[in-house]
Amino acid sequence: MSLKRIMILFGIGMAVLLIAGFVVGAIGSRIFGLERPFVAQPEIHLPPQPIFPAEARDSALGLAPAKDEHGAMSSSDDQHAKDDQHAKSSDAHAGDGEKGHGDAEAHHGEPLGIMDIAITNTLLSAWLVSIVMLVFFVGAARKPKVVPGRLQALVEMLFELVLNFATSILGPEMGRKAFPVVATIFFFVLFNAWLAIFLIPIYQAVGYGIGTDHGFELKAHLLRPAGTDLNMPLALALVSFVFVEYWGFRAHNFGYLKKFFAFGDILRGRPSGIINVFVGLLEFISELVRVVSFTFRLFGNMTAGEILVVMITFLVPFVATQFVFGLELLVGLIQSVIFAGLTLVFLSVAVSHEEH
Amino acid sequence: MAELGLNVPSLVSYLINYIILLILLGVFAYRPLLNAIDGRVDSIRESLAAADQARAEVATSRSEIEEELNEARREGQRLLDQAREAADRFRDAEMARARQSAEEFSERAQADIARERDAAINEVRAAFGDLAITAAERIIRRSVDRQAHQEIIDQVLAEGEQALRR
Repeated sequence: MSLKRIMILFGIGMAVLLIAGFVVGAIGSRIFGLERPFVAQPEIHLPPQPIFPAEARDSALGLAPAKDEHGAMSSSDDQHAKDDQHAKSSDAHAGDGEKGHGDAEAHHGEPLGIMDIAITNTLLSAWLVSIVMLVFFVGAARKPKVVPGRLQALVEMLFELVLNFATSILGPEMGRKAFPVVATIFFFVLFNAWLAIFLIPIYQAVGYGIGTDHGFELKAHLLRPAGTDLNMPLALALVSFVFVEYWGFRAHNFGYLKKFFAFGDILRGRPSGIINVFVGLLEFISELVRVVSFTFRLFGNMTAGEILVVMITFLVPFVATQFVFGLELLVGLIQSVIFAGLTLVFLSVAVSHEEH
Repeated sequence: MAELGLNVPSLVSYLINYIILLILLGVFAYRPLLNAIDGRVDSIRESLAAADQARAEVATSRSEIEEELNEARREGQRLLDQAREAADRFRDAEMARARQSAEEFSERAQADIARERDAAINEVRAAFGDLAITAAERIIRRSVDRQAHQEIIDQVLAEGEQALRR
């Protein structure tokens, strides 16, 4: 069979799946009067869901049965075992008609408090990404050869891309110093975004849920991209902030603070100094606002991508999501470049010897 | 903020996770691979410098070799000229010596011839003297007529001629 014929058949198959997805999706089911769409209406959770310990998970997801009905079951080991059974793919549970928590939809989960301690699905994802990164990079760098193999050559190329990016902004010496921090930010953001796409079956299908009249309903994924957790971008933003301020202070010593506290002119009795004080105040605020902008830029983009995937799957299931995955690959790359690039630019401004 | 998911333990976990990741990657990935890249860059740079140097050395050697060849060619030409001059000188000297030797030989031969001729003349003279004496003795001793004298003279001359021929 010629390649052209295979491509035509593939295209026809994709078109059929697209039409079928449109018909059985939320839009088609409404138009054609189907009982319910192929994919249940998703619930959008901005906060990550706690996975461990089980009590926190049950409480946050509304999976715990009401105490007046099941007594101490919700916190017992039996309950944990039962919940562990849910930690399988939704496909495996689809149609098994589990009714144990049939009325659990009535329970509305509560997000974690600011100081509550729990291992969330985003944190699990971040750990998985960290392990994958370590295996990938350390595996490539384990026994570096003069004539590199494929993996070493690939990783070297990635490192050189980031290093050249850093040196083009900061110069060779400072670029080399900034490389580890910036590269770790870049690859961490990138791997978090891309791994969720490459491992989409695991990310989207494995999790905890309840049995309903329509089958198994996934309430929380075991893994969720860490970029959709506000804490991850915030942590990276704080790292970036501390890194920039550290090098700014190291480059200018206490003179670095003059940028923010420009009281020199006003103490000398010059009334125009009030402008410098105001500018310094703006600089100080903008320095802090960077953390917020860093955080919400990444969080917003990653969360929007996640919501887009979920909503497209709900509206037009099957193949329409593939286009969104392509878009998400690009968004993940762009966000990692922006995060690393802005850190480099802020660092460049902080260590430069110009008057601000 | 809790509605957005802000959670301090998670934040601290992410920070710790990042720091551990940074340290592990820094020690086991960034440093070895960047060192490998630096080593390769240095190696390539050194190789290029060595290649340039070798190229320059080859160019220098070629010019030196050409210079030496020219020098050798000039030296050879000079030696050839010297040999030719020496041969000419030797030939002239030998020819002069041969000519002189031939002249000396010729002079010596002429002197010898002259001496031999003189000796022969003297010998002939002496022989004719003896013959004349002998003829006179015989004439004196025999008193014969004119015819007899003539016969005697002819006989003596014939004897003398035979003696000369011998």
